[in-house]
Formats: sequence, structure tokens, C-alpha cells
Amino acid sequence: MTKVNIRKAKTHLAKLRRLTAQKKSPLAEMSEEEVIKTIRKTREELWDKKLATRS
Amino acid sequence: MLLVLDSNEYIFAFGLSRKPICENLLDTILDTFPTHGMRIPRLISEEVRCNLTTEEYREFIELINNLTYIDEDIVVPFELGVRYEIIGLKPADAFIAAYVEWTGADVLVTENRHFLKRHSSLSFKILNAENCLSLIKSP
Repeated sequence: MTKVNIRKAKTHLAKLRRLTAQKKSPLAEMSEEEVIKTIRKTREELWDKKLATRS
Repeated sequence: MLLVLDSNEYIFAFGLSRKPICENLLDTILDTFPTHGMRIPRLISEEVRCNLTTEEYREFIELINNLTYIDEDIVVPFELGVRYEIIGLKPADAFIAAYVEWTGADVLVTENRHFLKRHSSLSFKILNAENCLSLIKSP
């Protein structure tokens, strides 16, 4: 079972946001719809790989 | 209230693509814990990973490990996923819906319109960040 530590969680979230702010993600230039479409495509690809591994 | 955040919510909440309402939602969940908690399946963590550097992913895992735990995809009964495929969801989306049902979560939070238009007749709510935030902040 996870030992919840909200203070640590917030620290890591803040660091993660600092890191993402330092470099420009390819997603940053996309519209919201394009981002969602890209993530959906990633989901389909990952799912297909999982299925291929199991069969 | 138990929540499952879709991968797009994490991407927006981390600032990879700016959407302040999603940042606000994740901050609010942390601020109101344990009133509101989260669960996350392996698939969503892998989707997030695809958009992060190694260093960023390490922080993401530390964030999750201090908040909840990652459920392996294999724990979700296959039949549950099939039920959502039958009502028209793509297999991977059907898995996410099945996962939300399996966890007993109250809400799937997503900006994905393909999910949002299928909110009726489910055992959980499907809300975008804005509506979820309103729900959390409602008395």
C-alpha cells in the first residue's frame, strides 16, 4: 500500500512543472484538439503493442 | 470522491501544453486530499511517459508514488472492457472505462470529447477538468 505524502507529492509536481517549463515540448505548439488527438494516437499504439505482446 | 485522470489531464496539468484549469484541478486534488483521491492504470502512466524526458518521468513517478499507486492493466477483468467496446468505445478507451468501473471511481476526468459524449448510462461520471473542479468546489 502506498504511503501518501502530499507535501512530497507537491514538491515533485512543482519540480516537474519547472522542468517542463525549461524546454519546449512538441505539444506546446499544438492546439488543444491536436494535443488530444496526438495522445489518443499514442494510446492506440501502446494498446496495440500490449495486445501483440500478450497474443 | 475517487477520481481517475486521463492522460490528457496530466499533460495539461504539467504544463506540456498550457491549460490552467487542468493545473488548477490537480492542485485542488492535492490540496483537498484525502477528501478527493486518485487512481491510475499502467496504460495512462505509459502515455504520460511518452511525452516526458527521463528526468521529468522520474518526478512524475515520485508524484504518483506519494499520492497513490499504479494499477497493472492486467488486473482489470477482460469482460468489463468488452462491455464498453460493445457500446462503441475503441478497445483502449474501453479498457480505461473498464478500469474506472473496476476501481469504483466516481469520475473519469478527461478533455477527450470521444469520452465526454458517452456520459450517459455509465456507473461513473465523465467530466472535463472545469466541470470536475466545479463539482469538487460545490458545497
